[in-house]
Amino acid sequence: MAICPNRCWKTLFGLKQALAWALALLLAQAALAQGTLRVLTWPGYADADLVKVFEAKTGSKVEVTTIDSDDVMWQKLNKNKANDFDVFAVNTAELQRYVQAGLVVPVDTSNIPNTATQLPRFRDLKGINGLVHGDKVYGIPYTYSEMGLIYDKQQIRSAPTSIRALWEPRYRGKVLLYNGGSHNFSLASLALGNASPHQIGPAQWPLVVDHLISLRRNAQGFYAQPEESVEMFKNGHTALMFANYGSQQVQLLRAAGIDVGYAVPQDGTLAWLDCWAVTRGAKNTKLAEAWINYLLEAAPGNALLTRQGLANTTSESPYLRAQDRLLWLEPVENADRRASLWERILAGDRANKVLAP
Amino acid sequence: MKFGIALKLGLLLAGVSILASGLTGFYAYQASRSLLVQSAKTELLTTTQVLARRVTLSRNEMSRDLQVLTSNPAAMAVLSSPNTAQEDPLAALFESFMRANPTYFQIRLVSASDHGLERVRVDREGDRLIRVRGDDLQEKGHFSYVSGTLKLPPGATYLSRIVINHERGAHAGLEQPSVILAMPVSAADGTALGVVVVNVDLKNVFATLAADLPKDFQLFFANGKGDYLIHPDASQTFGFDKGRRVLVQDEFSATQELVEGKVQQAVVEANDGRYSSAPVLAAFVSQPVKVSSEEGNFVLGLALPLSNVLEQANKLGLVVLQLVLGLCLIGILIATVVARAVTRPINAMSVAVQNFALDHQQAAIPALKRHDEIGVLAHSFKQMQDSIHQQLEALQENREELAHMARHDVLTGLPNRRAFQERLEQALSRAQRSGEHFALFFIDVDNFKSINDRFGHPGGDAVLKIVALRLVATTRKVDAIARLGGDEFVVLLDNPTHREDVVHIAEKLLESVRSPILHRGVELQVGFSIGISMYPDDGRTAAELMARADRAMYAAKDAGRNGFRFFNGKTHPTSPTPL
Repeated sequence: MAICPNRCWKTLFGLKQALAWALALLLAQAALAQGTLRVLTWPGYADADLVKVFEAKTGSKVEVTTIDSDDVMWQKLNKNKANDFDVFAVNTAELQRYVQAGLVVPVDTSNIPNTATQLPRFRDLKGINGLVHGDKVYGIPYTYSEMGLIYDKQQIRSAPTSIRALWEPRYRGKVLLYNGGSHNFSLASLALGNASPHQIGPAQWPLVVDHLISLRRNAQGFYAQPEESVEMFKNGHTALMFANYGSQQVQLLRAAGIDVGYAVPQDGTLAWLDCWAVTRGAKNTKLAEAWINYLLEAAPGNALLTRQGLANTTSESPYLRAQDRLLWLEPVENADRRASLWERILAGDRANKVLAP
Repeated sequence: MKFGIALKLGLLLAGVSILASGLTGFYAYQASRSLLVQSAKTELLTTTQVLARRVTLSRNEMSRDLQVLTSNPAAMAVLSSPNTAQEDPLAALFESFMRANPTYFQIRLVSASDHGLERVRVDREGDRLIRVRGDDLQEKGHFSYVSGTLKLPPGATYLSRIVINHERGAHAGLEQPSVILAMPVSAADGTALGVVVVNVDLKNVFATLAADLPKDFQLFFANGKGDYLIHPDASQTFGFDKGRRVLVQDEFSATQELVEGKVQQAVVEANDGRYSSAPVLAAFVSQPVKVSSEEGNFVLGLALPLSNVLEQANKLGLVVLQLVLGLCLIGILIATVVARAVTRPINAMSVAVQNFALDHQQAAIPALKRHDEIGVLAHSFKQMQDSIHQQLEALQENREELAHMARHDVLTGLPNRRAFQERLEQALSRAQRSGEHFALFFIDVDNFKSINDRFGHPGGDAVLKIVALRLVATTRKVDAIARLGGDEFVVLLDNPTHREDVVHIAEKLLESVRSPILHRGVELQVGFSIGISMYPDDGRTAAELMARADRAMYAAKDAGRNGFRFFNGKTHPTSPTPL
């Protein structure tokens, strides 16, 4: 060794570096490979093939649970203080409930390098209501959609221009609605001309409940999942549908061979932006962040666009038009109250019974 | 340890018998096992089909109940008038049906008008039946069991999807797996004025249906897409309601085609996943829903622990095992006997051969009476033994003859010089020990050359023979006579008492041999000269004695032949020589 030339030392140093890198990589892999990632999400956000790729990459196992309403998601996460799941997809308005309840932990964006590929307006997290609390980021934007009106072109010749079309008696028994209390209250409030539909004042409740009951009386039925809405639309000869999942449902209906139109009424169309958040019960936050990072890659982003008909955050949406006036979801005045009242309305109670204490 | 043929042969035979019986047993067990499994599969499939028919029959019974209820005049009366007075008798009817059928959670009469307002409703709550009235009645027009049923012709049954009932206020049925059956209440013109709706407790229905199945049967029930509705592990049911679907085709991959509608039945042996420790045999049938419904098909399955099926096979296996073990034992026994039977004669023969080799005694050969290969071997061996024995005897005779020839004169048969030398040595040593005397006569035929010349060698030989005979005849048995060669004879006189005895014998000898010899009709007169030496007076060694007797003999010849002379005395001519 005493006569080892300079070059030899260099090689050795290079080897050492390579070894260190390899070791670091292995350790990172080992850290990720620990156990299972429990994902709570919406239909179409975590297709089996995409999950498999992630599992292969990290050596982990992913358990996907899908929900079809904000209320069910809240129940599931609240039930065991968010210990049953690691990462979940939630809209910006709902996220604030979870932050206040302490059910989520901040996300370390440096662990999600793919955020660099997002459009500038999605990287400006402070510019989006509800994502940042005291300098800490709680959600990474993933996908978004307006909740417009889907109509059967055979039955409705010209596109509806107002959400009030859902109440029109001529569509009685042919209106398909979403089974979600919070959104439906906002929808009714909006239809009543309320400028801030997310805040229903104490005096407004009877009016809004009445309006929801009359909406129910106009309904063919209530769906929960996008696929279910397609079946009900097809089998029940639906004329008009409130598209809670927006363009995702348009895509599915068209794929099912139904000639539908999609309207974004200008008197107020609600819209949501879903983000990924990490729960306080997350067993492996690194793995949860790796999951978020993976979903911002090209393949999952493309799957959102082409399979689900949903926008992603790395390219401009082909579905939204600049002139569309959207009302982004905001935290509601009392989500629990909306949920319990909605249960009664859905079960068929009449107004005095719905509002009974 | 040495492996003898017996052990090797025994092991081979035993091995073959064990292998043969083992293989037979194994294949018999395999065949009977697969037969049992096959028949169990058929039986299980039949049971499942019977159960599926019972599901349909049970649904038919419910349809008949609905027909009774919808055709009851009270139902029509309630729907045609806003008056609530008509409702009580109908409620009583509902209650009697619910008491009779514990699987009903709820029976309702729902109006087509008033947004599907419930008019008469009886709910089950624990053991009680609750009549729901007034403001508690709900509008159900937005549920497809109302809107869907209203579109049906009179008497047709609507069957809902099977779900967990989340309808608030459903009492006992709330959050329970239920299926809703409904039928329109139609006016005379066929228009539906309302519907009668029955909420059925799914668990209860299947508990009743499966009540008489044996305890270890496991029941599976899934909707047309494969979502479990009933499963031995309750956590696997209604996965779609919990956000994580659990499908029959994921657990039993053979049911994939069943769910896809390609086949109507499937029988599987499941031994992975939750069945890895306790494999099951399962039969699934696809049952179409024959009434108006959002559900297309149902998948019904029954599983039976494979161990139950194989219990019989295992019993049989035990019997087969016992048989195999018995056969093996018999095989080993036979192998031992056969091995011993084969090797015993071989061993006996080898003992005989060993004995023969040791002492050339002709031993009795075993197995000579056998007619098999061993018999042939024994005969061959016997022949070999006989032949060796004969050759040995011949050899012995030759040897004895040779030994005789080595010590005797061929012509006269008298001992030769060599034999006489030994005899002389013996006499010397005996005489030295006992102090006895003996005398040595050296006898030579006088003028033997002239006899040969005159009568040829045969003549000489004849003379010598006769001389030998006469010498033998004249001497005692104890005295030794030998021919030393040519015409020379010696006689050893053992222990003569006196010198006069020796003289007497010498004279007798001379007299005996001098008598005429008849040869080819010619009388020959042969003379002899005898030289005598005496022990111990004339010498103490054989050579001395021989040399002195020889010298005495020549002295006798010199003295005129045909006489005898002691070494230390004069020649005694006895008679004139005729030659």
